[in-house]
Amino acid sequence: MSKYRVAVDVGGTFTDVFVFDEETGSIYVTKTSSTPSNPEKGMLDGIAKAKLTGDQITMFSHGTTVGTNALIERKLPKAALVTTKGFRDVTEIRRGTKLDLWDAYNDVAEPYIKRRDRFEVTERVDYSGEILEEVNEAEVRELARVLKRRQVESIAICFMNAYVNGKNERRVKEILKEEMPDVYICTSSETLPEIFEHERMSTTIVNAVLGPIVSKYIQVLEGEMKEIGYQGDILVLHSGGGVMTSETVPRYAARLASSGIAAGAIASKYIANMCGFKNAIGLDMGGTSTDISLMYDNDLRITKDWYIEYGYPIGFPSIEILTIGAGGGSLSWIDEGGSLRNGPQSAGAVPGPACYKLGGTEPTNTDANLVLGRLGTSLLDGQMTLDKEASMKAIENTVASKLNYNVHEAADAIIKVANANMCDALRLISVRRGYDPRDFALVAFGGAGALHGAELAKEMEIPNVIIPAHPGVAAAMGCLLVDVRHDVTKTFLADAGSIKKEELEQEFVEMEKEAISLLEEEGIAPENMNLIRYVDMRYVGQWRTLSVTVDRPLHSLENAVERFHQEHEREFAFRDNEKGIEIYGLRVEAVGTVRKPEFNKEEPSGTLEEALKETRDVYFEESGGFVETAVYDRTKIPVLSEFAGPAIIDQLDSTIVVPPGCTAKVDEYRNIIMSFVKGKGEDEREAASTISTLMN
Amino acid sequence: MSKVFESQLDPVTFEVLKNGFVNLVDQMSEQVLRTCYSFVIYNRDFSSALCDANGNTVMQGTQDISVHVGTLHLTAKAVIEDFGDDIHPGDVFIINDPYRGGTHFNDTRIIRPVFYDGQLIAFMQVNGHWADMGGSVPGSFDVNSKDHYGEGMRIPPVRIWSKGEYLKDVANVLVANMRVPEERLGDLRSQAEATKTGETQLIALIEKYGLDTILTAFAEVQDYVERLTRAKVAALPDGEWETTDYIDMDPEEGDGLIPIKVKMTIKGEEIFYDLSGSHKYIGCFLNSAFGSSMSAAYAGTKTFFPDIPLNSGFYRAVHVELPEDSVVNAPWPVAVTGFCSGAYEKIMNACFELWSHIMPERALACSFNLEYLLIGGWDQRSGYNNYFMWYDWMAGGHGGRHERDGANALSPVFGVGLSIQPCEGQERLSPVITTKHEIVTDSAGPGQFRGGCGVEKGGILTDSNDTVMSYCCDRSRSVTWGIFGGLPSTPHGAWLNKDKEDGQFLGTIFSNVKVKKGDTFTRPSAGGGGLGDPLDRDPQAVLEDVIDEYVSIERAKKDYGVVIREIDREIDLFEIDEEATKAERQFIRQARIGWLEEDIHNVVERYRNGEIDQLDLIRRYGVIIDQVTNTGLPKTTEQNREMMKKRSLAYWT
Repeated sequence: MSKYRVAVDVGGTFTDVFVFDEETGSIYVTKTSSTPSNPEKGMLDGIAKAKLTGDQITMFSHGTTVGTNALIERKLPKAALVTTKGFRDVTEIRRGTKLDLWDAYNDVAEPYIKRRDRFEVTERVDYSGEILEEVNEAEVRELARVLKRRQVESIAICFMNAYVNGKNERRVKEILKEEMPDVYICTSSETLPEIFEHERMSTTIVNAVLGPIVSKYIQVLEGEMKEIGYQGDILVLHSGGGVMTSETVPRYAARLASSGIAAGAIASKYIANMCGFKNAIGLDMGGTSTDISLMYDNDLRITKDWYIEYGYPIGFPSIEILTIGAGGGSLSWIDEGGSLRNGPQSAGAVPGPACYKLGGTEPTNTDANLVLGRLGTSLLDGQMTLDKEASMKAIENTVASKLNYNVHEAADAIIKVANANMCDALRLISVRRGYDPRDFALVAFGGAGALHGAELAKEMEIPNVIIPAHPGVAAAMGCLLVDVRHDVTKTFLADAGSIKKEELEQEFVEMEKEAISLLEEEGIAPENMNLIRYVDMRYVGQWRTLSVTVDRPLHSLENAVERFHQEHEREFAFRDNEKGIEIYGLRVEAVGTVRKPEFNKEEPSGTLEEALKETRDVYFEESGGFVETAVYDRTKIPVLSEFAGPAIIDQLDSTIVVPPGCTAKVDEYRNIIMSFVKGKGEDEREAASTISTLMN
Repeated sequence: MSKVFESQLDPVTFEVLKNGFVNLVDQMSEQVLRTCYSFVIYNRDFSSALCDANGNTVMQGTQDISVHVGTLHLTAKAVIEDFGDDIHPGDVFIINDPYRGGTHFNDTRIIRPVFYDGQLIAFMQVNGHWADMGGSVPGSFDVNSKDHYGEGMRIPPVRIWSKGEYLKDVANVLVANMRVPEERLGDLRSQAEATKTGETQLIALIEKYGLDTILTAFAEVQDYVERLTRAKVAALPDGEWETTDYIDMDPEEGDGLIPIKVKMTIKGEEIFYDLSGSHKYIGCFLNSAFGSSMSAAYAGTKTFFPDIPLNSGFYRAVHVELPEDSVVNAPWPVAVTGFCSGAYEKIMNACFELWSHIMPERALACSFNLEYLLIGGWDQRSGYNNYFMWYDWMAGGHGGRHERDGANALSPVFGVGLSIQPCEGQERLSPVITTKHEIVTDSAGPGQFRGGCGVEKGGILTDSNDTVMSYCCDRSRSVTWGIFGGLPSTPHGAWLNKDKEDGQFLGTIFSNVKVKKGDTFTRPSAGGGGLGDPLDRDPQAVLEDVIDEYVSIERAKKDYGVVIREIDREIDLFEIDEEATKAERQFIRQARIGWLEEDIHNVVERYRNGEIDQLDLIRRYGVIIDQVTNTGLPKTTEQNREMMKKRSLAYWT
C-alpha cells in the first residue's frame, strides 16, 4: 500500500489539498470548497476527493483560518480579563494610535474583550520584580464567584510587570483554576514574558479568546481523522513558520491567529532553494490581495510587530508578510485629478471582473489581461469562459475614453500601473530594508502571480523569476515543508560590553530547558532537536532593536556584536563603532526537524512542439502592439526545455506570461525559471547549489 | 468627471512617479523611526518631505504627524533664502526656527540639497521632535517663558555638513546647549542618513527616467494635487461659515476666554480662511507662529479630504489669512512652544466644526487637546543616580460623529499616529509608579452620538531628589465642546495629592512645582464633545454604556434623561424605566434653556452647597469656575454660554 503525505491549506473560498506519494514521489493536487462553519469537513472532502483513506496517510499538516475568522468576526467564547487594579482599560487605550491618520471615520477595531468583562484585582509588582502588594486570596475567590455567575469560558490574566516576576499571576491562576477547573486560563508570564503591558496583554487576550476555539477545533479534527484511520499527529502551521501538534496548540493559540499566511512564504523559500537560490522574494498574488515575503541567505524575515486587526498586536515572532490590496480583481479608475489609479478597491468574487459576466462593469486587472490576450477566454480546462467584449467595454468606458487612448493602450496602461504598485510593495520589503533586489529571485505564485511576475522582475531588475509547478496550491505545499518550531523569548536588558558571558549563558540554558520540554511534548526525538539563540541589540539610546544570532554555547559576544554592526549598516546604511551596544531581549528558536518530501526529478520526454496548444495575438508594448504568440500546455512541456518569449503557458490553475526578450527554462522539478538577461544570476545559483543539495 | 488629463507625461509614468515619490518619502520616515534616539520621534512625532529646487513640497509622507503638514516647504525656502547660490553638493542644513516657518524649537529639520550633473534639483527634508533643546526646563517646555530666550536653542538655517564634510564644531555648539547632547547627535545622524536614503532613491529614479521627466513630474504632481483639490472644492456650494474657539485665558489677565476666530469662504474652486478678529498674542507659550497656524488650517481641511496627497499643490487652493501680532501669528520673540495645546488645535477643531456643516456625513465635534506632564529630577532608586525625565502624554476622547459615537481613548488630533508610552517602560526608566491608567466614567460629552471617553493616569513618586513637575495643556475653562445640540465633556487640569489632606489642584499650565517621594499626582484627559441632542439618544445605547461603565446611572439620567434601574450588576442586568425616562426627558427639555440663563452666583452657591456637581455646572448651566478657588468666572461663563447657545441650544427642540 502506498504511503502519502497530505497538506491542506484552508482558505476563505477554497480548501487546497496537496498530496505527496512517498513511494513514487508523484504529486496530486485538488481543490474543494471551504466549509467555514465546520472547517474539518472541507478537508475531509478534499482527502476523499484524493481517494485516500486515513491509514494511507503518514503525515497530515495544514494551515487554517479558524483563528483569523474567529477574531475578525468576533465569534469568540465568553472571555474575561483579570488585571492589576487601575489597568483594565490598557487593551482599549492601546497606544492610542490609528492606522488611518486622516480619515476620522476609519476606526480601529473594538477590543476583543469588552470593558464589562475586564476585571481587576489588588496586586502590584515593580519594575525590578519586587512584589509591592501580594495577591489577596479572598478577593480572587470572590472574583471567581462573579466570573462563574457570568459563565465565563476563558480567562486572560495579565498583571503589570509580570514579565519580570509572574508569581502573582500564577497565584491568581491557581485560585481561579481551583474554583473553575473547566475554564481555559492563561497568564501573560507564561504566554509571552516580555516588557510593555499593552503588547503583552493583547497577546495574552488573543491567546485566551482563541484557546478554547482552536483546542476544540483540533480535538474535533483529530477525532475525525482517527475515524478515517489516520494514526499520526495533526500538524498545524503557525505564524512563525513552523508546525505545532495538538499538544501545544492550547498553550500557544495566538500563534494560530494567522496560520495559513506563512505557508506561502515557506513554499517560496523551498521552491527557491530547490532551484538553487538562497535569496528570494515570494509573491503570492490572488484575486484581491498580494502577500509578499522575503528570504535572505536562506532565512525568512521575522517580525514581532504584527496583528490581525490594527491596534491589537500579537507579540510572537512571525514570518514577515507584506499584504497589499492588489490582485487580479483590483479595480482601475480615473480619480478627480485625472490620474489613472489601480486598487485598492477590488471587484471581489461578486460581481468580479467584467469578463465574468456576473454584473461587474468596472475594469479589473483580469479584464486588462484578457483584452491584451495574455489570458485566454477559456480557463480551468474550459470549465469557465470569459467575455472579452465585456472587458473591452468596461475599459473603454472607465479608462480609455478619459485618457484618449484606444482600448488596448488603456489595458496596457492599467497593467503597468498595477505592476508599478506591486513594485512599490516589492521595494518596501527589499530596498527599504537595505536589500538589493538584483541579488534575489522572485517566486511568483497564487492565481495571478505568474501573469505579472516576469514584468515585475524586469522593472525591478530581478534576474530570475520562478513559477512553481503548481502555483495555485503552493501554499498547501508549504505546509508539508515545515519543521516543528517554537520560540522562547524574554526581555533581558544588559550592556553588551560588560555583561559576563556566564550570566548570559545561564539565561540561555534556562530558556533552552523550556524549549526542549516543548519539543519533547511535541514528541520530537533528541537527535532531531535544533536550538538557535538570538539576541536583540541596539545602540545605547536607540529604541528599535535588530536581532542577531549568538554562538551556542557562548564563547564570546564579539561575533554577535560584529553581526549587529553589519546588520545595522546593511539595513540603515551606517554603523557606529564608538557607541555602546545594549542587549534588549533574548530568543531561543527550537526546531524539531520533520522529514521532508523528496520531489522527483523528471526525465525529458516529448517535444516542445507537442505542447503547443495554439497561437494567438498578445499585446506587448515592447513589440509595438499585438504579436503572434505561442500558447503552450504546461503539463506537456518537456522538462529541461528552454524557449524565448513572447509565449503564454497555460495550466489548470494559472497562466504564465513570458514577455519578449525573456527566456523560460523548465527544470527537472517542472519549475519554470524566466530571466531577461541570459547568464545573469547564474553565479549565485552555482554558489547556492550546495544548499539545495542539503535541503533534499 | 470628464476632464482630460493635461500632462506632458503619459499617465503611466505620471502615476508611477507619483507613487515613487510617496515611497521615497516614506522610506526616509521609516529609517528615522528605526534609528532615532529621541523617544518623542520614536513615538512618531516626525515627518518627511521631498521638496523641489524652489523649496515647494512635491510629496509629504503618508504617516506624517498632522502638526508638521504645510510647514516643510517653508523651512526649505528659508534655507534657500539664506544661502542662495551658496548651496553645494554634500551640504546638509539644520533649522528649527518657528519664526521662519517652523513649528517649535523641538521640531528640528534636517535638509539635504540634491544635485544632479551639478544642478540643484531638490531638497530632502526630515523633521523630528528632539527630546530636549536646552532652556530652563527639561524637555524645553517652560510655561513661564514669555519669549523664546528662555525656551531653548533657536536654530536659523545653519550648514552642518559642508561639501560632504561634517562640521563637528557647529554641531557641538548646538548640542552643547541641550540636555543629553550625545542623544541629539544620534538624532542628527539618524535624520541626516535618512535624507541620504531619499537622495539615493531620487537619483535612481532620475537615472531610469531622465532628469527632464523627473523635474516635469515634480511640477505635475503638485499640479495634480491642486487640480484634485479644486475639483473637489468646486463640487461644494459656495458660501461663508464662521465660528470661534477659545484658549482658556491669558494668565496675565485672569478671567476671560481668548477668542480664535475662523471664517471660511468657499468660492469656486478655492477655500479661504480668515482668522481676523482673533485675540492679540498672550502672556504664555500657547500662542502659535504663522507656520503652525497655517498647518492647522491645512490639517483641519485635509481631515475632510482624507485621500488627497499632501504637497504644495494643496496649499495653492487653500488660502489662510492671519492677523499680525495675534495669538495665531505671534511675532518674534513671543513664546510659542506650547502652540500645540493652545492655538493650533483650536484652529483645527474650529475647521472641523465649519466643515461639519458642509459635509454633515463626515461631521466631527470637538476632540480633547494635547496635554503633557513632565517630572524631572534625580533618580535615587537602588543602583540609580542619574537625571530622569518622566515625560508623559495621554490618549483622550474624540468628538461625536454622524451616526457614530466619537472614538474612545485616541491620540490627540495634532497627530493620531503619536503613540502613548507603555507604563512598564516608564517604570524602568523613572522612579514613578503608575497607579492607574484607565477610562473615566462620564467623561464623554453627551450627545445623540456621544463623544469618545477620556482617560485618567495617576502615579506616585518613589526614591528621588530635587524633583519638579511641569504641565502643559488647556481646556480647563474652554471645555471640549459639542455640536449640533451635543454637550461639552470634562475640564482638564492636574492634581497633586488629590485624596490627601494637602491635596492641590494645579491647573493646566504650571512648571517647576516641587515634588518629593510619596507624592501622588493624577490628571484626566477630556472626553470628546457630543454630537446631536442627548435627549434623542437611543436609550438602549445609554444602557449599553451603563453596563460598560462609560456612563454612570446617575448621569444617564441627568445628561440623557434615561432612567435605568440596576437589577444585578454582576451579570449585567439592568432595566430601562420607560415611563420615568419619558418624564425625565420632558423635564429636561422644559428646564434646560432656563438653566443656561440662571444667575451665575446662585449656581455657584448651589455647587458649593453640594446640591449640584461640576459636570452639572458645565453641562447644564454652562458655568465655568476657577477650580483652584472654586469661585465663578463671570466673563468666561458669559462667553461660554454664548458659545453653548450657538453650538447646543440652537439645535434643541
